[in-house]
Amino acid sequence: MKQHTWLIVVMALAVGFTAVALTVDNAWAGKLEDAIAKTPQGTEKGQIDSNAPKGFMGIPGGPSAFLGWAILWGAWVGWIFSSVGAFGGIMAGVGHITVFGLGDYAKTFKDTNPVLSKLLTDSIRTSNQYLVALSALISSTTYYRMGRLVLPLGVCLAAGGITAGLLIPYLTAGKINLSAYVGYFGITVLVIGCFLFYETTPRGQAGKKAAKEAAAAFEKEHMGKGVATTNHAADGVQVKQWGASKVSFTFYGVEFSFNPIIPLVGGFVINAISSFIGVGGGFLYVPFLTSIAGLPMYIVAGTSALAVFVGMISSIYGYMFIKGVPVDLAFIGVELIGIAIGSVLGPMTSKKIPDIWLKRLFVVCAIYVGVGYTTKGFLGYSIFPGM
Amino acid sequence: METLNILVDPYLIQLFRITGYTFADFLMGTFLLAFTAVVIGEVCIGAVFLMNRQHIAATTDDVVRYQKVSDDALAVGDKEAYAASNKMANDAFGKSFFSQIAMSAASLWPVFFIGGWMQYRFADVEFQMLFTDFTVGVLCPLVALYIAARLVFKRIKYRLPFFREIKKILDSQGRPDHR
Repeated sequence: MKQHTWLIVVMALAVGFTAVALTVDNAWAGKLEDAIAKTPQGTEKGQIDSNAPKGFMGIPGGPSAFLGWAILWGAWVGWIFSSVGAFGGIMAGVGHITVFGLGDYAKTFKDTNPVLSKLLTDSIRTSNQYLVALSALISSTTYYRMGRLVLPLGVCLAAGGITAGLLIPYLTAGKINLSAYVGYFGITVLVIGCFLFYETTPRGQAGKKAAKEAAAAFEKEHMGKGVATTNHAADGVQVKQWGASKVSFTFYGVEFSFNPIIPLVGGFVINAISSFIGVGGGFLYVPFLTSIAGLPMYIVAGTSALAVFVGMISSIYGYMFIKGVPVDLAFIGVELIGIAIGSVLGPMTSKKIPDIWLKRLFVVCAIYVGVGYTTKGFLGYSIFPGM
Repeated sequence: METLNILVDPYLIQLFRITGYTFADFLMGTFLLAFTAVVIGEVCIGAVFLMNRQHIAATTDDVVRYQKVSDDALAVGDKEAYAASNKMANDAFGKSFFSQIAMSAASLWPVFFIGGWMQYRFADVEFQMLFTDFTVGVLCPLVALYIAARLVFKRIKYRLPFFREIKKILDSQGRPDHR
């Protein structure tokens, strides 16, 4: 019960952060207006024509993507989320940078008004995170109700995540130009692509096959033989020791322990990457907790959802409240409609396309986007067209 | 987006002219809009749930199945089976988690449109926070009233036939409604 009280406090603080982050509209409106006012007026590249129709974030002459494209791209992102998984967040970023032309638009002000250019770059990063943070809120609420959270683990992850979520915007907002951001985004996509590629190789497939067979063999042997789990299950997670160097708890009567430094550092590193690139980080938390920390899925699922949510909220708070980064809320609303449509299309098509071919498709996408963005960011041009 | 805001503005602003008292009108109008966003969002996610229910059941079953195997392996001290089933549960959970993220967009999109319109309509409105020098914009009451609207709607939603139907399906599958 005490644990639940603490969790409610954590959730309330996170929601409070969201509320405060969302209240800064006047502050960022002023910051954006100032940046627009200081930009040379005119119709040339890098100038703002005050008579042009308002586009992205109300900037005269700003990119004004046809709403249908935002829905279509959102549907593509939603389709990926519901068929492949983590790569959806990456594709949301590709949409903001390339498809809707925000990246190239931000770049046009590189010489005429670097402040506006960097403000738009930060807006792209924050918009990417909005898509994940609000959804993670729903997931973590779900797992909280299901009682699948380990408080010490959640606190350590969240402490590391919040520190990174506030530190990264503080250190980088307004300082990262679009080229550097796109370059680092490209490297992240390439790393994810390598993981996806590994999973499609014979070795990666063999590992999965072996795990499946081992699980099936155990299931066959013990199914219906009255493995005495029920009583332990009723106990749930029992924290035995909560110290600076060791936290131990029992789960199903079996003792687990971890050094709190590990999730603290893990939460920091994962949220630092997520905050800098503008992605969710959910794809890193679960493998980190199950593979490196060796914890059971039953515990990891809920705790990682909460960690994603807390990490994202602190990062959005950092960008919007501390650094006054603007975000176009209605545009995100249009993208969410598309994602919802994609979430319906994904299950329909994934039945017809084998899992391995879906992964291969995204390996190709990851290489294209990753190499394209890395070269564009660090060499100044993309070796692939359309980036 | 501005075209959309101009289009809906004459209609939405009527919700802010009910009592004739400015502050009361603002709170009431914001709550009504937030409540509308909650209802539209819940209907949308309900529709998505109905369309995806087989997929949801399949992915959830996989998670539960491997989780059960991993728990059992843990209980009997079979570390190899535990690691293997934990890995499989990890894969199954990943699919279920990201699928849920995509589906939850169906319930959240309306509040973003309302937030966008309120930013456009009440851009100059600021509220002084009690006992501080800080001022907050119109989105602060929107977030607070959106949460309140969700809590209110949660209490009444199963009185509506559409949501009762969804609850029946969930109950028949032995799953609680955690949405």
